[in-house]
Amino acid sequence: MTTLTCQRVGKVWPGAGGTSVAALCDIDMTVENGEFVAILGPSGCGKSTLLELIAGLEPLSSGRITLDGKPVAGPAPGVVMVFQDHSLFPWLTVQDNVGFGLAMKKVPKPQREARVNELLDRVRLSKFANHRPHQLSGGMKQRVAIGRALVESPDFIMMDEPFAALDFQTRVLMQKFLLEVWLEFRPTIIFVTHHIDEAVLLADRVVVMSAGPGRIIDEVRIDLPRPRRMTDPGFNDYRARLTETLEREVTRAHAEDEGLAVASAA
Amino acid sequence: MSDRTEALDGAGAPVAEAPAKRVVPSWAWVLFKGLVPWAVVITIWELAAASGWSGSVLFPPPSAFLSYAIESDFRVGFGGDAMPIPIAILVSALRVLAGLAIGFAAALATGILISASGSFSDMILPLVRGLAPIAPIAWIPLGIVLFGIGNPTAVFVVFMGVYFILTISTVAAVKAVDQRLIKTARSFGASKGQVWTRVIFPAVLPQVFTMLRINFFAAWMAVLAAEMVGVKNGLGMMIILGREMFNTKLILLGMCIVGATGYAVDVLLVQIQRKILWWQQS
Repeated sequence: MTTLTCQRVGKVWPGAGGTSVAALCDIDMTVENGEFVAILGPSGCGKSTLLELIAGLEPLSSGRITLDGKPVAGPAPGVVMVFQDHSLFPWLTVQDNVGFGLAMKKVPKPQREARVNELLDRVRLSKFANHRPHQLSGGMKQRVAIGRALVESPDFIMMDEPFAALDFQTRVLMQKFLLEVWLEFRPTIIFVTHHIDEAVLLADRVVVMSAGPGRIIDEVRIDLPRPRRMTDPGFNDYRARLTETLEREVTRAHAEDEGLAVASAA
Repeated sequence: MSDRTEALDGAGAPVAEAPAKRVVPSWAWVLFKGLVPWAVVITIWELAAASGWSGSVLFPPPSAFLSYAIESDFRVGFGGDAMPIPIAILVSALRVLAGLAIGFAAALATGILISASGSFSDMILPLVRGLAPIAPIAWIPLGIVLFGIGNPTAVFVVFMGVYFILTISTVAAVKAVDQRLIKTARSFGASKGQVWTRVIFPAVLPQVFTMLRINFFAAWMAVLAAEMVGVKNGLGMMIILGREMFNTKLILLGMCIVGATGYAVDVLLVQIQRKILWWQQS
């Protein structure tokens, strides 16, 4: 299983005309084996960049990321990612999408099919095995994406606002489903969201990030028994604390922007 | 299973499965609307000819040139050179399809190699962009010099007409591939080669095929032109034979078949696009 550590991680993107944009600055974070961590923050705070760095899809600009003590250098087996827009391959059927990772690793067809069928059953899409992504609803697509992630029995799943594009009802069902999966397989999960309620509902721990450049400004351990409901006593305290933190951050960022505008006008 | 199973299954009925409600039976209505202008043009033409319009010698109406096909037993030419009209259609259509298929495959391969080769693309792209604007018809003389008179020339002309433009289109399509699909593939352990063959290649197919369809008409014209000036069979030869014999019925019959065949091939390409290459890049 997998423990993640980020030490003073920074990422700078090249900008227009030789300038550069700092996306992440001094990120220190540890995620324990089997832990469910939510990363909460406004748009543009570098949440997605952080995930891509951990997934080994982008090189670091500074600092160090290790999985079980080994520095990340490229996509690692057992570490998978689920994107917001599901990123299914439109030309593949549901079963071929789910089996994609196994096919890349040249797992023999009979084994692959058996494993894919198992997973399709698990995400309750067996009936749609031969459908194409465009024939599915948003919730079903996201279930395919989750199935595709689970097919390799990953130790570590990163999810980048996976339910943001879903309607309320579907999102609630998907959250339940994700918790079931997590309790059953106990992978380590990093779940990026900008929904405070979603973070409190799902996570063991909520990491709050700020924008421009992305930094960690708060960390809250959620000590509520599962299964949680938004009406549970104590839920509101967490919600209030996180709301306050985020509001303070938004106000600060806004004031900074104003200050910049004034400075450039003068 | 449990209640929550049903809840999850109910959460997403497949979108595309719902039958679309249509008040008008659509295909019949579309067909009708498409046929009306044809009926109007043909009626005016026939009436003009029937009322003794002198131009009908040069422009014989459909009743005259279509019946000419029956009179001539669906054959054009003389003696041993005579060719059944269906064979002429087949010959021309196969030439253009062969050229398109070879051009499409070669352009995809070239475009992907150029895209994959980084700085090499700066060297090869200007060359391709300089050759792309040359109209397919302009390759005919060179084709005849290289391959003489026959099928290879016709296929060569179509190939040259689409190859460069589709190569450019492939390079552009590769650049436009959704980065998230590539990142997803990589995070699932796809190697660099697998990203090219399993993600980028299928992702660019529809866009390049659309470009192929757009360029089909130019290729079709080029085949006919090649058949008129050198390659002595097919539909182009049929029209030029009409000119040589001052047989306007044969000319118009040829034009009519050229139009219908081109239309049919275009419909075929649209069907390929809808049934096989239906996904689109967003």
